[in-house]
Amino acid sequence: MFCAFLYNVVRVTHPRGQYLPRACILQNRRFIGKTIQPGTIEDRCMANNRRHFIIATVLIVICTVLVYWVLDTVLLKPAAAVVEAGPIDNLFDQHIWLIAFLFALVVVFMCYALIVFRARGDEGDGEYVHGNGLLEILWTVVPCFVVVYFAWISTTMLIDLTRPNPDEFVISAEGRQWSWLFTYPETGAVTPDLVLPVDTPIRMDLTSDDVLHSFWVPEFRVKQDTVPGMVTHVRFNPNVIGEYTLRCAELCGTNHGGMLATVRVVSAEEFKLWQSEQLAQRQE
Amino acid sequence: MSLFTLGIARGLLGQVLGMVIGMLLTCAVRILLGWEAWAAEPAWTVGSVCSIIGFLLGVGSLDDWLKWTKGIPTPFHHGPPVDKPAWTRYFSVDYNHKVIGVQYTVWGILLLMVGGTVAMIFRTELARSGLQFLGLDLYNSFIGMHGMIMIFAILLGVGGMANYLVPLMIGAEDMAFPRLNALGFWFNVPGSVLLLLSLFIGGWDAGWTAYPPLSARGPIGYQLFFLGVFAIGLSSIVGSLNLLVTILRMRPPGMSLFRMPIFCWAVFATSLLQLTATQLIGTSFLMVSVQRALGMGFFDPRGILGEVSPMVGGGDPVLFQHLFWFYSHPAVYIFVLPGLGIVSELLPVFSRKPLFGYKWIALSSMAIAILGFIVWGHHMFVSGYNDILRIPFMYATLLVAIPTGVKFFSWLGTMWGGKIHFDTPMLFVLGAISVFLIGGLSGPILSTVPTDFPLHDSYFVVGHFHATMFGGFVFPFFAALYYWFPKVTGRMYNETLGKIHFYIMTPAFWVQTLGQMGVGVMGMRRRIADYDPTLGAGQIEAWHMAVTIAGFAIAFGVMLMLWNFFQNAEVGAAAGDNPWRSRSPEWQIPSPIPEHSFPAPVRVVGEPYDYGLADSGYVTTASPGDD
Repeated sequence: MFCAFLYNVVRVTHPRGQYLPRACILQNRRFIGKTIQPGTIEDRCMANNRRHFIIATVLIVICTVLVYWVLDTVLLKPAAAVVEAGPIDNLFDQHIWLIAFLFALVVVFMCYALIVFRARGDEGDGEYVHGNGLLEILWTVVPCFVVVYFAWISTTMLIDLTRPNPDEFVISAEGRQWSWLFTYPETGAVTPDLVLPVDTPIRMDLTSDDVLHSFWVPEFRVKQDTVPGMVTHVRFNPNVIGEYTLRCAELCGTNHGGMLATVRVVSAEEFKLWQSEQLAQRQE
Repeated sequence: MSLFTLGIARGLLGQVLGMVIGMLLTCAVRILLGWEAWAAEPAWTVGSVCSIIGFLLGVGSLDDWLKWTKGIPTPFHHGPPVDKPAWTRYFSVDYNHKVIGVQYTVWGILLLMVGGTVAMIFRTELARSGLQFLGLDLYNSFIGMHGMIMIFAILLGVGGMANYLVPLMIGAEDMAFPRLNALGFWFNVPGSVLLLLSLFIGGWDAGWTAYPPLSARGPIGYQLFFLGVFAIGLSSIVGSLNLLVTILRMRPPGMSLFRMPIFCWAVFATSLLQLTATQLIGTSFLMVSVQRALGMGFFDPRGILGEVSPMVGGGDPVLFQHLFWFYSHPAVYIFVLPGLGIVSELLPVFSRKPLFGYKWIALSSMAIAILGFIVWGHHMFVSGYNDILRIPFMYATLLVAIPTGVKFFSWLGTMWGGKIHFDTPMLFVLGAISVFLIGGLSGPILSTVPTDFPLHDSYFVVGHFHATMFGGFVFPFFAALYYWFPKVTGRMYNETLGKIHFYIMTPAFWVQTLGQMGVGVMGMRRRIADYDPTLGAGQIEAWHMAVTIAGFAIAFGVMLMLWNFFQNAEVGAAAGDNPWRSRSPEWQIPSPIPEHSFPAPVRVVGEPYDYGLADSGYVTTASPGDD
């Protein structure tokens, strides 16, 4: 349908120009709603248009797949270590498809035009075409649907990502220039490194002692600034045992780059053991 | 002829004197209060305010108004100064919009070179992991310096194009308020001097965004930074007011708004944004400045014992971000809309075809400008403001894609069926489209909140931002420089060198921006001097090296362009009045343009982009009787 609209509007010269009389590249609108007799100028003109758009469409499809493949290969996301990474990475992937398609659409049409409609030493003018309202409405309205689709799925996903869970395990974190402190309310333990039980919904209550910082573990995807005088929240559910690095993501002064903390995701048993150790240390 | 016949030398002297007077004033007040005479921060702050006034008095930008207060008449002088060489007018206060346009542009290019040099320094540092030669604090100052200097440079470039071109394009004799126009330019000089000076008195380490509480605790350099930005902001406000009045009131008979050259629409939209949003960055920076100087707790929640005076607390750091981005998001559109206007302006000329969907392109600029006011929250998706409000900001941000898409598709429609010529300006227009496409397409992934989480404050944002700035400003600006160089100088640049510049810079920029986005996806944060070499399966160093090499290639290309212009400004081949066969009014008059641009009042007789319509014209200076 897109192409059908396009070639109602866009007049096309033949690549070598000599086959078609000038009439062919003038108002194409006169073809609309008319039965075109085979073999006439109109017929050859329409066939020529159709040929350009068929070639362009094929190139767009090829280019889309190619761009997607390249981006998918070269963009190296960190490993995923939380449940939330699933939907986020899926949305990321949909975006990459959209990027690949739109990139192909514009670049193919642009390069095609640059090659086919280059001046070739001809000092004359191109076709006298001012535009087409129908086409403009089309490429205003169709993107609206794409926009609403992406906004809608992102909205539902965001609501899921931030929904409180009655079973969530709460840990407080405080950023300070240039280290982190984690407080476990259950035991009152305060540690410079973060230890998390696997497969448990976690809520971090974040704040800052001095300037802005930001809580970000690339493997956890989610991110949240820590603000002095305010408690912000971030929720995630780690599902892969391992060791990660928490990296401050908001410029916070001299050693911002070095404001790191080790994050260990451990099994439930190990976590219990660790907590009792912490409790014992506190009681000493 | 002494040095002080040049206004700029008098201005700089005035700036130094103003600084000294301001400092002495501060000391005097402190002595009267019985305090220790010298305190660095208040002295520099008051000194900086006085230094801006000192510059304006020294350069002579306020002379006429001061004379008016005393009732002294100030006859308007046209042409170069009577008793001095003609070139001195470019270094002094001059009311001709063509001179002011050149002043803006040249000053902008100078700042572009300073900002680029700073970038090359820290890009070299980033080529390898580990710290090689920059300290952490200096690195932090440099990234902020690069950002803010480039913003100044872009605003100056925009001002240069708008001031030079708008009166010519609408066939006006000059801008509506020539004295205000000159003042608008001269604000920029003391502003940029303060910004550069700040690096030498401690710098500032919170980046160009200067978020408190960090910026409220940083070195004294911040005060100069804030006041420098304030001066540039004043320039934006008076400049945009002037452009709006010029566009609305000084068009010739027959030129309805939809018959203006499309660049004027872009400038109109940009000026609306500048006039209404710039106050917010001025306010937000002034508030931090006052917080530092007087201990008001605008953005400080707790109250800390500040270096200067104790804070009382009760403030909100997130509030600053709202105020700041309420300007600084529209600012992005202030930077790119004129650039996109240049693309729309040049495409029909080199495609020899009418602009496809003129009204749609014109109105899409307005739509982008209006949407620009309701999307600031997307810079703050993880800042901690109301969770639910992220959703409307996400919708609004994604909506920006629609008018932007209209522009892209209309550009394709313009090229389709044309007879396309590939002169250097056209190449840069095509480069702009390709680069702005990359910048635009990397936008939606940042605007949906869930995918923004991993990418926010990562190097992906750096890549996205540079692609929009290069595609929306730098490439079109270079296209404009090549395109109007023959009109400004009457000489033609070297076409081969221009093409070499293009073929070096464009692929290099693709590598740079895609490399920046790539390392961002790997987990590279922005604004860090050293990075973890194990990121991206150990590939990150190679990517950074590629980005650095590409950065140097871009710098080389820019030097090539400047050399090309420098070489040919006086001795290049004569360009003729209309080498591009354009229909725009400025090409119908001699190159270089005489003091009074048009020999007689201009009248509009046709459409601006009717390429391909035989025997049609756009403007004429002949009176109706001559027809």
